[in-house]
Amino acid sequence: MSAKQRIDGVAAFLLHSHPYSETSLVLDVFSREHGRLPILARGARRPRSALRGTLIGFQLLELGWFGGGEVKTLAKAEWCGGIPLLKGRCLLLGYYLNELLLKLLPREDAHPTLFDSYAEAIGALANGADDAPELRRFEKALLKEIGYGLSFGHDADGAPVEAQQRYGYFIERGLIAIDDAEGFTLSGKTLLDIDADDYSDPRTLSESKILMRQLVSHQLGDKPLQSRRVFIDLHEL
Amino acid sequence: MALPSSLEELIEALRCLPGVGPKSAQRMAYHLLQHNPRGATRLSQALATALDTLRRCERCNNFTESEVCSRCQSSKRDATQLCIVEMPIDLNTMEQTHAYNGLYYVLMGRLSPLDGIGPRELAFERLLSRASDGLVKEVILATNFTNEGEATAHYLSEMLHARGIKVSRIARGVPVGGELEYTDAATVAQAFIERRDY
Repeated sequence: MSAKQRIDGVAAFLLHSHPYSETSLVLDVFSREHGRLPILARGARRPRSALRGTLIGFQLLELGWFGGGEVKTLAKAEWCGGIPLLKGRCLLLGYYLNELLLKLLPREDAHPTLFDSYAEAIGALANGADDAPELRRFEKALLKEIGYGLSFGHDADGAPVEAQQRYGYFIERGLIAIDDAEGFTLSGKTLLDIDADDYSDPRTLSESKILMRQLVSHQLGDKPLQSRRVFIDLHEL
Repeated sequence: MALPSSLEELIEALRCLPGVGPKSAQRMAYHLLQHNPRGATRLSQALATALDTLRRCERCNNFTESEVCSRCQSSKRDATQLCIVEMPIDLNTMEQTHAYNGLYYVLMGRLSPLDGIGPRELAFERLLSRASDGLVKEVILATNFTNEGEATAHYLSEMLHARGIKVSRIARGVPVGGELEYTDAATVAQAFIERRDY
Protein backbone atom coordinates (compact mmCIF):
# COMPACT_ATOMS: atom_id res chain seq x y z
CA MET A 1 0.00 0.00 0.00
CA SER A 2 1.49 3.36 -0.93
CA ALA A 3 1.91 5.91 1.84
CA LYS A 4 -0.45 8.33 0.12
CA GLN A 5 -3.22 5.86 -0.41
CA ARG A 6 -6.56 7.33 0.46
CA ILE A 7 -9.66 5.29 1.09
CA ASP A 8 -13.09 6.88 1.01
CA GLY A 9 -16.70 6.07 1.74
CA VAL A 10 -16.24 2.75 3.57
CA ALA A 11 -19.11 1.37 5.64
CA ALA A 12 -17.82 0.68 9.13
CA PHE A 13 -18.66 0.24 12.80
CA LEU A 14 -16.63 1.56 15.71
CA LEU A 15 -15.81 -1.38 18.00
CA HIS A 16 -13.73 0.36 20.64
CA SER A 17 -11.50 3.38 21.11
CA HIS A 18 -8.60 4.45 23.29
CA PRO A 19 -7.45 7.97 24.19
CA TYR A 20 -4.29 8.97 22.38
CA SER A 21 -2.23 12.05 23.32
CA GLU A 22 -4.12 15.03 24.74
CA THR A 23 -6.92 15.34 22.22
CA SER A 24 -6.99 12.30 19.94
CA LEU A 25 -8.43 8.82 19.83
CA VAL A 26 -7.25 5.57 18.33
CA LEU A 27 -10.31 3.81 16.97
CA ASP A 28 -10.66 0.09 16.52
CA VAL A 29 -12.88 -0.06 13.47
CA PHE A 30 -14.63 -2.95 11.70
CA SER A 31 -15.08 -1.95 8.09
CA ARG A 32 -16.94 -3.85 5.42
CA GLU A 33 -14.24 -3.83 2.74
CA HIS A 34 -11.05 -3.63 4.80
CA GLY A 35 -11.87 -5.61 7.91
CA ARG A 36 -10.69 -4.57 11.34
CA LEU A 37 -8.16 -1.79 11.54
CA PRO A 38 -6.81 0.89 13.89
CA ILE A 39 -7.44 4.48 12.83
CA LEU A 40 -6.12 7.62 14.50
CA ALA A 41 -8.82 10.28 14.87
CA ARG A 42 -6.92 13.51 15.42
CA GLY A 43 -8.61 16.04 17.68
CA ALA A 44 -11.58 13.75 18.34
CA ARG A 45 -11.43 14.52 22.06
CA ARG A 46 -11.38 18.30 21.69
CA PRO A 47 -14.37 19.87 23.50
CA ARG A 48 -16.07 21.08 20.31
CA SER A 49 -14.94 18.32 17.96
CA ALA A 50 -17.56 17.53 15.33
CA LEU A 51 -16.48 13.89 15.63
CA ARG A 52 -18.05 13.64 19.09
CA GLY A 53 -21.54 13.24 17.69
CA THR A 54 -20.33 10.94 14.91
CA LEU A 55 -17.92 8.38 16.30
CA ILE A 56 -20.49 6.37 18.20
CA GLY A 57 -20.40 2.62 18.75
CA PHE A 58 -23.19 0.40 17.34
CA GLN A 59 -23.98 2.98 14.65
CA LEU A 60 -23.34 2.56 10.95
CA LEU A 61 -20.65 5.02 9.84
CA GLU A 62 -19.04 5.95 6.57
CA LEU A 63 -15.33 6.49 7.05
CA GLY A 64 -12.46 7.74 4.93
CA TRP A 65 -8.78 7.45 5.88
CA PHE A 66 -5.24 7.64 4.55
CA GLY A 67 -1.82 6.28 5.40
CA GLY A 68 0.19 3.22 4.55
CA GLY A 69 1.31 2.22 8.03
CA GLU A 70 -0.42 -0.04 10.47
CA VAL A 71 -2.40 2.81 12.04
CA LYS A 72 -4.32 4.85 9.46
CA THR A 73 -5.37 8.47 9.91
CA LEU A 74 -9.03 9.37 9.83
CA ALA A 75 -9.88 11.80 7.05
CA LYS A 76 -13.65 11.78 7.14
CA ALA A 77 -16.44 10.31 9.22
CA GLU A 78 -20.13 10.43 8.57
CA TRP A 79 -22.96 9.04 10.59
CA CYS A 80 -25.34 7.03 8.38
CA GLY A 81 -28.23 6.52 10.77
CA GLY A 82 -30.93 3.93 10.38
CA ILE A 83 -30.08 2.00 13.58
CA PRO A 84 -31.55 3.28 16.86
CA LEU A 85 -29.05 3.55 19.72
CA LEU A 86 -28.76 0.36 21.73
CA LYS A 87 -30.37 0.53 25.14
CA GLY A 88 -30.03 -1.27 28.45
CA ARG A 89 -29.28 -4.97 28.38
CA CYS A 90 -28.87 -4.91 24.58
CA LEU A 91 -25.96 -2.51 25.01
CA LEU A 92 -24.14 -5.12 27.10
CA LEU A 93 -24.88 -7.77 24.46
CA GLY A 94 -23.53 -5.38 21.83
CA TYR A 95 -20.29 -5.11 23.81
CA TYR A 96 -20.12 -8.91 23.82
CA LEU A 97 -20.31 -8.96 20.00
CA ASN A 98 -17.64 -6.26 19.83
CA GLU A 99 -15.35 -8.15 22.17
CA LEU A 100 -15.68 -11.32 20.08
CA LEU A 101 -14.65 -9.37 16.99
CA LEU A 102 -11.79 -7.64 18.82
CA LYS A 103 -10.42 -10.89 20.19
CA LEU A 104 -11.07 -13.32 17.33
CA LEU A 105 -10.86 -11.35 14.10
CA PRO A 106 -7.35 -10.68 12.81
CA ARG A 107 -6.63 -7.16 11.58
CA GLU A 108 -6.93 -6.12 7.93
CA ASP A 109 -8.78 -9.22 6.85
CA ALA A 110 -11.91 -8.27 4.91
CA HIS A 111 -15.06 -10.13 5.95
CA PRO A 112 -18.00 -8.48 4.18
CA THR A 113 -20.42 -11.33 4.99
CA LEU A 114 -19.54 -11.17 8.68
CA PHE A 115 -19.88 -7.37 8.55
CA ASP A 116 -23.41 -7.80 7.21
CA SER A 117 -24.20 -10.35 9.95
CA TYR A 118 -22.91 -7.90 12.56
CA ALA A 119 -24.97 -5.03 11.13
CA GLU A 120 -28.03 -7.27 11.07
CA ALA A 121 -27.52 -8.41 14.67
CA ILE A 122 -26.99 -4.86 15.96
CA GLY A 123 -30.03 -3.62 14.02
CA ALA A 124 -32.16 -6.44 15.42
CA LEU A 125 -30.98 -5.78 19.00
CA ALA A 126 -31.65 -2.06 18.57
CA ASN A 127 -35.16 -2.76 17.33
CA GLY A 128 -35.98 -4.94 20.31
CA ALA A 129 -35.73 -8.39 18.69
CA ASP A 130 -35.42 -11.48 20.90
CA ASP A 131 -31.71 -11.37 21.63
CA ALA A 132 -30.66 -15.02 22.04
CA PRO A 133 -31.28 -16.09 18.40
CA GLU A 134 -29.42 -12.99 17.17
CA LEU A 135 -26.39 -13.85 19.31
CA ARG A 136 -26.37 -17.48 18.12
CA ARG A 137 -26.62 -16.46 14.44
CA PHE A 138 -23.77 -14.02 14.85
CA GLU A 139 -21.58 -16.52 16.73
CA LYS A 140 -22.17 -19.06 13.96
CA ALA A 141 -21.30 -16.52 11.24
CA LEU A 142 -18.15 -15.50 13.14
CA LEU A 143 -16.94 -19.08 13.67
CA LYS A 144 -17.52 -19.84 10.01
CA GLU A 145 -15.66 -16.71 8.86
CA ILE A 146 -12.59 -17.26 11.01
CA GLY A 147 -12.15 -20.59 9.32
CA TYR A 148 -13.77 -22.84 11.81
CA GLY A 149 -15.14 -25.51 9.50
CA LEU A 150 -17.83 -27.01 11.67
CA SER A 151 -20.76 -28.28 9.69
CA PHE A 152 -23.95 -28.48 11.70
CA GLY A 153 -25.63 -30.62 9.08
CA HIS A 154 -23.03 -33.43 9.03
CA ASP A 155 -21.21 -35.46 11.64
CA ALA A 156 -17.44 -36.07 11.81
CA ASP A 157 -17.68 -38.87 9.22
CA GLY A 158 -19.66 -36.72 6.80
CA ALA A 159 -22.95 -38.51 7.40
CA PRO A 160 -26.05 -36.26 7.49
CA VAL A 161 -27.19 -35.36 11.02
CA GLU A 162 -30.37 -37.17 12.02
CA ALA A 163 -32.98 -35.29 14.02
CA GLN A 164 -33.68 -38.15 16.46
CA GLN A 165 -30.03 -38.98 17.23
CA ARG A 166 -28.02 -37.38 20.05
CA TYR A 167 -24.54 -36.05 19.31
CA GLY A 168 -21.50 -35.12 21.29
CA TYR A 169 -19.15 -32.39 20.12
CA PHE A 170 -15.41 -33.06 20.25
CA ILE A 171 -12.83 -30.32 19.73
CA GLU A 172 -10.77 -30.89 16.55
CA ARG A 173 -12.98 -33.81 15.51
CA GLY A 174 -16.53 -32.59 15.29
CA LEU A 175 -19.90 -34.18 15.90
CA ILE A 176 -20.10 -37.81 16.82
CA ALA A 177 -23.31 -39.77 17.32
CA ILE A 178 -23.51 -40.86 20.95
CA ASP A 179 -26.01 -43.12 22.61
CA ASP A 180 -25.01 -43.00 26.28
CA ALA A 181 -25.69 -39.73 28.07
CA GLU A 182 -22.21 -38.99 29.44
CA GLY A 183 -21.11 -35.36 29.25
CA PHE A 184 -22.81 -32.72 27.13
CA THR A 185 -24.78 -34.05 24.19
CA LEU A 186 -27.29 -32.32 21.97
CA SER A 187 -30.05 -33.50 19.73
CA GLY A 188 -29.75 -33.82 15.97
CA LYS A 189 -32.77 -31.56 15.66
CA THR A 190 -30.89 -28.74 17.46
CA LEU A 191 -28.00 -29.11 15.01
CA LEU A 192 -30.32 -29.03 12.01
CA ASP A 193 -32.08 -25.98 13.48
CA ILE A 194 -28.75 -24.18 13.96
CA ASP A 195 -27.88 -25.07 10.37
CA ALA A 196 -31.16 -23.52 9.22
CA ASP A 197 -30.91 -20.51 11.64
CA ASP A 198 -34.22 -21.57 13.15
CA TYR A 199 -34.37 -20.89 16.90
CA SER A 200 -38.11 -21.20 17.46
CA ASP A 201 -37.73 -24.36 19.61
CA PRO A 202 -36.79 -23.55 23.26
CA ARG A 203 -34.62 -26.68 23.43
CA THR A 204 -32.70 -25.52 20.35
CA LEU A 205 -32.09 -22.20 22.12
CA SER A 206 -30.77 -23.76 25.31
CA GLU A 207 -28.65 -26.47 23.66
CA SER A 208 -27.22 -24.12 21.02
CA LYS A 209 -26.18 -21.67 23.73
CA ILE A 210 -24.07 -24.34 25.46
CA LEU A 211 -22.56 -25.54 22.17
CA MET A 212 -21.71 -22.02 20.96
CA ARG A 213 -20.19 -21.17 24.33
CA GLN A 214 -17.90 -24.20 24.04
CA LEU A 215 -16.91 -23.37 20.47
CA VAL A 216 -16.29 -19.71 21.26
CA SER A 217 -14.31 -20.53 24.43
CA HIS A 218 -12.14 -22.93 22.45
CA GLN A 219 -11.36 -20.15 19.95
CA LEU A 220 -10.66 -17.63 22.70
CA GLY A 221 -8.28 -19.99 24.47
CA ASP A 222 -7.13 -18.35 27.71
CA LYS A 223 -8.35 -14.84 26.79
CA PRO A 224 -11.20 -14.14 29.24
CA LEU A 225 -14.28 -12.25 28.03
CA GLN A 226 -14.45 -9.01 30.04
CA SER A 227 -17.94 -8.16 28.80
CA ARG A 228 -19.30 -11.49 30.01
CA ARG A 229 -17.76 -11.01 33.46
CA VAL A 230 -19.27 -7.50 33.75
CA PHE A 231 -22.63 -8.83 32.54
CA ILE A 232 -22.62 -11.56 35.20
CA ASP A 233 -21.54 -9.12 37.93
CA LEU A 234 -24.38 -6.76 36.99
CA HIS A 235 -26.99 -9.46 37.10
CA GLU A 236 -25.79 -10.64 40.49
CA LEU A 237 -26.42 -7.28 42.13
CA MET B 1 26.03 10.97 28.16
CA ALA B 2 23.58 9.71 30.74
CA LEU B 3 21.45 12.23 32.66
CA PRO B 4 21.86 12.51 36.44
CA SER B 5 19.57 9.92 37.95
CA SER B 6 17.41 12.42 39.87
CA LEU B 7 16.77 14.38 36.66
CA GLU B 8 15.92 11.21 34.83
CA GLU B 9 13.54 10.23 37.61
CA LEU B 10 11.82 13.65 37.44
CA ILE B 11 11.31 13.33 33.68
CA GLU B 12 10.00 9.82 34.08
CA ALA B 13 7.65 10.95 36.89
CA LEU B 14 6.19 13.79 34.80
CA ARG B 15 5.20 11.30 32.14
CA CYS B 16 2.41 10.00 34.36
CA LEU B 17 0.41 13.11 33.43
CA PRO B 18 -2.12 12.61 30.62
CA GLY B 19 -0.84 13.60 27.20
CA VAL B 20 2.77 14.04 28.38
CA GLY B 21 5.30 12.12 26.31
CA PRO B 22 9.08 11.93 26.77
CA LYS B 23 9.75 15.24 24.93
CA SER B 24 7.21 17.31 26.88
CA ALA B 25 8.32 15.73 30.14
CA GLN B 26 11.89 16.77 29.41
CA ARG B 27 10.80 20.32 28.56
CA MET B 28 8.75 20.56 31.77
CA ALA B 29 11.58 19.25 33.92
CA TYR B 30 14.13 21.71 32.51
CA HIS B 31 11.64 24.57 32.78
CA LEU B 32 10.97 23.86 36.45
CA LEU B 33 14.64 23.48 37.33
CA GLN B 34 16.02 26.39 35.26
CA HIS B 35 13.33 29.03 35.27
CA ASN B 36 10.93 28.33 38.07
CA PRO B 37 12.47 26.57 41.09
CA ARG B 38 9.95 28.30 43.40
CA GLY B 39 7.10 27.01 41.30
CA ALA B 40 8.66 23.57 41.46
CA THR B 41 8.86 23.68 45.26
CA ARG B 42 5.25 24.82 45.45
CA LEU B 43 4.17 22.06 43.07
CA SER B 44 5.93 19.36 45.02
CA GLN B 45 4.51 20.62 48.33
CA ALA B 46 0.99 20.99 46.96
CA LEU B 47 1.13 17.51 45.52
CA ALA B 48 2.37 16.00 48.78
CA THR B 49 -0.25 17.89 50.83
CA ALA B 50 -3.07 16.94 48.48
CA LEU B 51 -2.07 13.30 48.54
CA ASP B 52 -1.81 13.41 52.29
CA THR B 53 -5.03 15.25 53.15
CA LEU B 54 -7.51 14.44 50.40
CA ARG B 55 -9.79 11.49 50.78
CA ARG B 56 -13.14 10.36 49.42
CA CYS B 57 -16.24 11.81 51.06
CA GLU B 58 -18.09 9.00 52.79
CA ARG B 59 -21.38 10.14 51.33
CA CYS B 60 -20.71 11.50 47.81
CA ASN B 61 -17.39 9.79 47.00
CA ASN B 62 -15.91 13.12 45.84
CA PHE B 63 -12.53 14.38 47.07
CA THR B 64 -12.62 16.11 50.43
CA GLU B 65 -10.42 16.86 53.43
CA SER B 66 -12.91 15.73 56.04
CA GLU B 67 -14.85 12.53 56.52
CA VAL B 68 -17.97 14.06 55.00
CA CYS B 69 -17.60 16.99 52.59
CA SER B 70 -19.14 20.41 53.27
CA ARG B 71 -21.75 20.00 50.54
CA CYS B 72 -23.03 16.75 52.00
CA GLN B 73 -23.17 18.35 55.46
CA SER B 74 -24.91 21.53 54.33
CA SER B 75 -28.46 22.02 55.66
CA LYS B 76 -29.22 24.25 52.66
CA ARG B 77 -29.06 21.31 50.23
CA ASP B 78 -32.09 19.16 49.51
CA ALA B 79 -31.30 15.71 50.90
CA THR B 80 -34.25 14.10 49.10
CA GLN B 81 -32.56 14.40 45.70
CA LEU B 82 -29.39 12.57 44.74
CA CYS B 83 -27.71 13.25 41.41
CA ILE B 84 -25.30 10.64 40.07
CA VAL B 85 -22.43 11.85 37.89
CA GLU B 86 -19.44 10.07 36.40
CA MET B 87 -16.60 12.42 37.38
CA PRO B 88 -15.96 15.34 39.77
CA ILE B 89 -15.80 17.65 36.75
CA ASP B 90 -19.39 16.67 35.86
CA LEU B 91 -20.44 17.67 39.37
CA ASN B 92 -18.86 21.08 38.81
CA THR B 93 -20.81 21.43 35.56
CA MET B 94 -24.08 20.55 37.31
CA GLU B 95 -23.30 23.13 40.02
CA GLN B 96 -22.73 25.83 37.40
CA THR B 97 -26.30 25.35 36.17
CA HIS B 98 -27.72 26.78 39.45
CA ALA B 99 -30.69 24.58 38.58
CA TYR B 100 -30.07 21.87 41.14
CA ASN B 101 -29.90 22.09 44.90
CA GLY B 102 -29.79 18.42 45.89
CA LEU B 103 -26.85 16.21 46.77
CA TYR B 104 -24.48 14.19 44.59
CA TYR B 105 -22.77 10.89 44.21
CA VAL B 106 -19.62 10.72 42.06
CA LEU B 107 -19.04 7.31 40.48
CA MET B 108 -15.43 8.08 39.49
CA GLY B 109 -15.95 6.29 36.20
CA ARG B 110 -18.50 4.48 34.08
CA LEU B 111 -19.27 0.93 33.08
CA SER B 112 -16.88 -0.06 30.33
CA PRO B 113 -17.29 -3.78 29.62
CA LEU B 114 -14.52 -3.90 27.02
CA ASP B 115 -12.04 -2.47 29.52
CA GLY B 116 -13.26 -4.77 32.27
CA ILE B 117 -14.83 -1.95 34.30
CA GLY B 118 -17.97 -3.30 35.93
CA PRO B 119 -20.06 -2.79 39.06
CA ARG B 120 -17.29 -4.17 41.29
CA GLU B 121 -14.71 -1.69 40.02
CA LEU B 122 -17.18 1.20 40.43
CA ALA B 123 -18.37 0.04 43.87
CA PHE B 124 -22.06 0.05 42.92
CA GLU B 125 -22.84 -1.47 46.33
CA ARG B 126 -21.64 1.68 48.04
CA LEU B 127 -23.82 3.89 45.88
CA LEU B 128 -26.84 1.66 46.43
CA SER B 129 -26.47 1.85 50.18
CA ARG B 130 -25.99 5.65 49.95
CA ALA B 131 -29.22 5.96 47.94
CA SER B 132 -31.08 3.76 50.42
CA ASP B 133 -30.51 6.07 53.42
CA GLY B 134 -34.25 6.62 53.76
CA LEU B 135 -34.02 10.37 52.98
CA VAL B 136 -33.43 10.12 49.23
CA LYS B 137 -36.72 10.25 47.32
CA GLU B 138 -35.41 10.74 43.80
CA VAL B 139 -32.17 9.70 42.12
CA ILE B 140 -31.25 11.74 39.04
CA LEU B 141 -28.98 9.92 36.62
CA ALA B 142 -26.62 12.43 35.01
CA THR B 143 -24.10 10.05 33.46
CA ASN B 144 -22.87 10.94 29.98
CA PHE B 145 -24.84 10.25 26.81
CA THR B 146 -22.21 7.89 25.49
CA ASN B 147 -22.86 4.17 25.16
CA GLU B 148 -20.92 3.58 28.40
CA GLY B 149 -22.83 6.32 30.22
CA GLU B 150 -26.14 4.90 28.98
CA ALA B 151 -25.24 1.37 30.07
CA THR B 152 -24.29 2.75 33.51
CA ALA B 153 -27.58 4.66 33.78
CA HIS B 154 -29.62 1.64 32.69
CA TYR B 155 -28.20 -0.74 35.27
CA LEU B 156 -28.30 1.82 38.07
CA SER B 157 -31.94 2.54 37.30
CA GLU B 158 -32.81 -1.17 37.43
CA MET B 159 -31.08 -1.62 40.77
CA LEU B 160 -32.59 1.53 42.27
CA HIS B 161 -36.09 0.69 41.00
CA ALA B 162 -35.75 -2.73 42.62
CA ARG B 163 -35.15 -0.90 45.93
CA GLY B 164 -38.28 1.20 45.44
CA ILE B 165 -36.46 4.46 44.72
CA LYS B 166 -37.79 6.90 42.09
CA VAL B 167 -35.31 7.35 39.28
CA SER B 168 -35.06 10.03 36.59
CA ARG B 169 -32.58 10.67 33.78
CA ILE B 170 -31.49 14.09 32.54
CA ALA B 171 -32.97 14.86 29.11
CA ARG B 172 -30.99 15.07 25.90
CA GLY B 173 -31.56 16.74 22.58
CA VAL B 174 -30.85 19.85 20.57
CA PRO B 175 -28.79 22.28 22.71
CA VAL B 176 -30.27 25.51 24.06
CA GLY B 177 -30.01 28.18 21.36
CA GLY B 178 -29.23 25.41 18.91
CA GLU B 179 -30.43 25.40 15.35
CA LEU B 180 -31.34 22.13 13.67
CA GLU B 181 -29.28 23.12 10.64
CA TYR B 182 -26.10 23.12 12.70
CA THR B 183 -26.85 20.16 14.96
CA ASP B 184 -25.33 16.79 14.13
CA ALA B 185 -27.70 14.27 12.60
CA ALA B 186 -27.31 11.67 15.38
CA THR B 187 -28.44 14.22 17.99
CA VAL B 188 -31.43 15.34 15.92
CA ALA B 189 -32.38 11.69 15.25
CA GLN B 190 -32.34 10.91 18.97
CA ALA B 191 -34.23 14.11 19.80
CA PHE B 192 -36.87 13.01 17.31
CA ILE B 193 -37.08 9.46 18.70
CA GLU B 194 -37.41 10.83 22.25
CA ARG B 195 -39.86 13.62 21.33
CA ARG B 196 -42.54 14.43 23.89
CA ASP B 197 -46.09 15.78 24.03
CA TYR B 198 -46.18 19.53 23.85
